Amino acid sequence: MFFALSTGELMERPRLWQAVHELRYRIFVDEMGWEALARPDRLEIDQFDHEEAVHHLVLRDGELAGYQRMLPTTRPHLLTEVLQDLCVGTPPCGPDIYELTRYSVAPAYRDGRRGMSTVGTELIAGFIEWGMGIGVDKVIIEFQPMWVLRALQLHFLATPLGYQRAYGRQQVVATLLQFNGDTLQTVRERRNHFLPVLARNRPAPAGYRLAS
Amino acid sequence: MVQFDDTLECINKIQRATTVEQVCAELLAVTSRFGLNALLAGTVPGPDTPLDGQKEHVVLCDWPLGWLQRYVERNYVDHDAVVRHMKRAPGSFRWTDANTQEELDAGSREVIGDASSFDLHDGFAFPVLTLEGTPIMVSLGGPAFECSPEQVSVVSLVSTYAVGRALQLSAIDSRHADKRPLTDREAECLRWAAVGKSEWEISQILGISEHTSEKHLLNAKAKLGAVNRVQAVAEAIRLGYIN
Repeated sequence: MFFALSTGELMERPRLWQAVHELRYRIFVDEMGWEALARPDRLEIDQFDHEEAVHHLVLRDGELAGYQRMLPTTRPHLLTEVLQDLCVGTPPCGPDIYELTRYSVAPAYRDGRRGMSTVGTELIAGFIEWGMGIGVDKVIIEFQPMWVLRALQLHFLATPLGYQRAYGRQQVVATLLQFNGDTLQTVRERRNHFLPVLARNRPAPAGYRLAS
Repeated sequence: MVQFDDTLECINKIQRATTVEQVCAELLAVTSRFGLNALLAGTVPGPDTPLDGQKEHVVLCDWPLGWLQRYVERNYVDHDAVVRHMKRAPGSFRWTDANTQEELDAGSREVIGDASSFDLHDGFAFPVLTLEGTPIMVSLGGPAFECSPEQVSVVSLVSTYAVGRALQLSAIDSRHADKRPLTDREAECLRWAAVGKSEWEISQILGISEHTSEKHLLNAKAKLGAVNRVQAVAEAIRLGYIN
């Protein structure tokens, strides 16, 4: 199940909030080696977890299996504040563009190292549905260059925003991805799952834990 | 800045290309500035792939024709040090590095010598991973290859967009590939179905059995990729079988 929560709604669910920040720490500090984010409490939190951030969660059997954070580009975000050297020229911004950050799939929900996990593609289907519902049709993503090909295979219209650079243990390239109904259809065909994934309700306030 | 705008413009042209040949031409327009004027991108065939099966592995190709023929005829893929290096240590590397790092047998020396005779002296190869997790090897070559690390990343980025566009185009092709044209009888049955005739009525009009008219309609439905008769009729109208 895919949920979109405001920061306030996430904070009303302390177990889930904890699971989110633990997952982010595990992925971005432990796995990707973004040392600047390291903290003794092993929670990854930054200045962009503000009230206008939107948290996308994939829950499976009471566990947090996947996560991504959407930031409005109408206020400061990673590309304008932290990753400026990934952008050549003026960063695109506007109410129709969000920045997708902290894309994470818990290790137990990755279907092997190659290909795409179902949780991973649910995050993609979810942000397209979420965006199309509120008039957002573009996201800025800072990802590994190998994702460019995957994005094109999913029928995103992709535009690089700058050159790739080393970040932590990875090469990263900032890319603007535009999507429409054809993109959603292609993602659904790939997943062989045609029903909407975005939940209309909110997850129960208690009882969630982070997947292994 | 000027250089980046240039890169963007190339990527835009690649994404607007409507044929794989156009994609190749746009990519080579960028890479030839760095001495890379020949291109092959494809999945790496297994050792026992029959010669005529090798074509299916190719995603993008603008190799000198004589070189390509010789490569396929002599099954160079099994001896090419570049291919061997890609299988052993996937990553980006120069051809000359593969040639010095791999153990060369007589076959691989022949490949290197022959490549030179087609003015392919050095080049650059790297893998890209598809959604399915299949590695596609991109190999670019030419008379002399001079490229800074920044330029290498431009070449690999533009190449990735080119491979992506080629895969999009072949996906579009395969959507239409199963769509054999309707036979006259299948189209005729659909035309009657479109005006509300039952299978029995159609069989009476055309002087065929009810079973045959049903079969024609089922075939038409399958060829049009339709899930029901209404969609088949709509698709037949769109394709001009019914006006």
